[in-house]
Amino acid sequence: MTTTQAQASAALPAEPGAPGGAPVEREFTVQARSQRQQIIRRFTRGPVGMSGLVVFLVMLAFGFLGPLVYRTDYATQDSGAQSVAPGVQGYPLGSDAIGRDLLAGLMTGVQRSLFIVLLFVVIALPLGLLVGALAGYFGRWVDSVLMRFVDLVLTVPLLVVLIVVASNFPGSRTPLGVGVILGLFGWLDLARIVRSQFLSLREKEYVEAAHALGASNSRIIFKHLIPNALGSLIVWTTLAAATAIILEASLTYLGFGVNDPNATSLGRLVSDGVQATSTRPWLFYFPGITLVIIVLAINLIGDGIRDAFDPSNRRVRS
Amino acid sequence: MFFFTVRRIIASVFVLIASSFLVFALCAASFDPLSRYYTQNPRPPEAFFENLRQELGLDDNFFIRYWNWLTGALTGDFGQTVNGTPVAEQLPGRLMVTGRMIVLAILIAVLLAVIVGVVGAVRQYKPSDYATTFLVYLLIALPTFWFAAILKEFVAGGVNDLFGRQVLYTIGEETPGIALYATDSEIFIDRLGHLVLPTISLALLSFAAWSRFQRSAMLDVLGSDYMRLARAKGLTYRRTVVKHGLRNALIPLTTVVALGIGTLFGGAIITEQVFVWHGMGEYLIVNGIGNNDINVVLGWLLISAVFVVVFNLIADVLYAVLDPRIRLA
Repeated sequence: MTTTQAQASAALPAEPGAPGGAPVEREFTVQARSQRQQIIRRFTRGPVGMSGLVVFLVMLAFGFLGPLVYRTDYATQDSGAQSVAPGVQGYPLGSDAIGRDLLAGLMTGVQRSLFIVLLFVVIALPLGLLVGALAGYFGRWVDSVLMRFVDLVLTVPLLVVLIVVASNFPGSRTPLGVGVILGLFGWLDLARIVRSQFLSLREKEYVEAAHALGASNSRIIFKHLIPNALGSLIVWTTLAAATAIILEASLTYLGFGVNDPNATSLGRLVSDGVQATSTRPWLFYFPGITLVIIVLAINLIGDGIRDAFDPSNRRVRS
Repeated sequence: MFFFTVRRIIASVFVLIASSFLVFALCAASFDPLSRYYTQNPRPPEAFFENLRQELGLDDNFFIRYWNWLTGALTGDFGQTVNGTPVAEQLPGRLMVTGRMIVLAILIAVLLAVIVGVVGAVRQYKPSDYATTFLVYLLIALPTFWFAAILKEFVAGGVNDLFGRQVLYTIGEETPGIALYATDSEIFIDRLGHLVLPTISLALLSFAAWSRFQRSAMLDVLGSDYMRLARAKGLTYRRTVVKHGLRNALIPLTTVVALGIGTLFGGAIITEQVFVWHGMGEYLIVNGIGNNDINVVLGWLLISAVFVVVFNLIADVLYAVLDPRIRLA
């Protein structure tokens, strides 16, 4: 999905000089908008991206502001209220087998899962960007070496790489450990995307012009090429963030994710709940639905951004 | 074309060898086949460990170990498990078990993806398009094991209640021991009952992304000039869509599907785990990683890498065959 980003946005520099100076008499003209303003405008007017954003913000508020309102700690265990149904004994969403409050658990889980995503993006984005940029910009042997390496690692399913690595580090069964492992191996497809973007971008006239002006390689990469590849970077980030949440849940389900006795995450709650589908359905449905809503929201945001950067595939053609 | 294929096959062999080396390095650093003896109480004498290391060749140089494994694998000998049985004996049977599920799931997924994608594109922004789009987004957002649990709960429960007996099974790939007493047709029915749910789960989850892809490919084609020309010539709308549109819109999907088949093994791991299938995924997780067994993990990864590389090759060749505009240099 992430590779379908088209080149339309790349044809123009991201930020042509913003209109400035004195107010212009506008009778027959329209107000000038920079590329960035246009993109933001397209995004905020697209129903898909905006509904995703609103839902995502609501989930953020639930995870981070919720605990300020609902002051129950998830770690508190109550042996007198084990596996109570929702609404009973003051547990709005029920409790689990050792008497922990599920609502508080969901709030903590959302926090932890977003922490994992943040960690994943912070590690994977620079890595993939760097490798892809070097390979795409310098070409020749740098390209061959880096991309053959990426090809090699991609011959093994990502989930299996993660499992083998995680089985090496029994101490990594926490949100921190899972986030780091996901980040260290999640950049491979980004490197491919950035490389293919750079391969076409580096042939553009403005790069040649920058060369002629004596700009250094690093200046061209950071000031000219990366801003122009920004669209696909942002789209990748959102879609990969959604994938990371699901990957974390899958790893945890298989026993190689957030499985520390005291650790928690949304994936942990979901995979614990799967054992109790019919006996304690609230433990199964609430975490699962929360996770699906978050992933859905992030995916919708990603699609909205993709459409905003590349309006060509939304144009109605007869 | 012929030379391109030959060159790609030769390159694939090198990729496989390099990949197996990488995986061997990863596994050799990760797993110690002796680890289960370390925690034994009373701890076996040091001489026992020395002996075992000698026997398994763990004292040898890393490259010698890799060479031994590689030459063995090339002659079809994947080494022995920690329990002393040959790995090569297990692989074909388990491949068949996983293959049953994957082949059927792919067939269903491709068929559904083409139908849903094309209908969505032809009837763009109609209620049916919005409905399928929402459904597809939902499927993309679902974790495999959670979806499978829902299937077990509702579909299996509902269908079995409907028939008043167990038709769909939620555990295993066949009733244990049925091969010993049942006739061929009974075994077939039994396996079919076990097959339905995992296949549906795998098929729906892979279909979701593919149908989005098919939809956008079809939209691209529908907007192209030759479609308008075909209409202008007087062909019926249905004929232009099916003969001129669909044929071209299928090209991108073939490559995506071919690439997807190779990696489906990754998705199948979770599906197998949920439905307790004794296939490749279980072999990797339980017998391989669970037992710290290098040879099992290596055997699994080699098989899966072969699939990935072969289907990458097929994707490249198919792309060129289907679209004559692509030139293979």
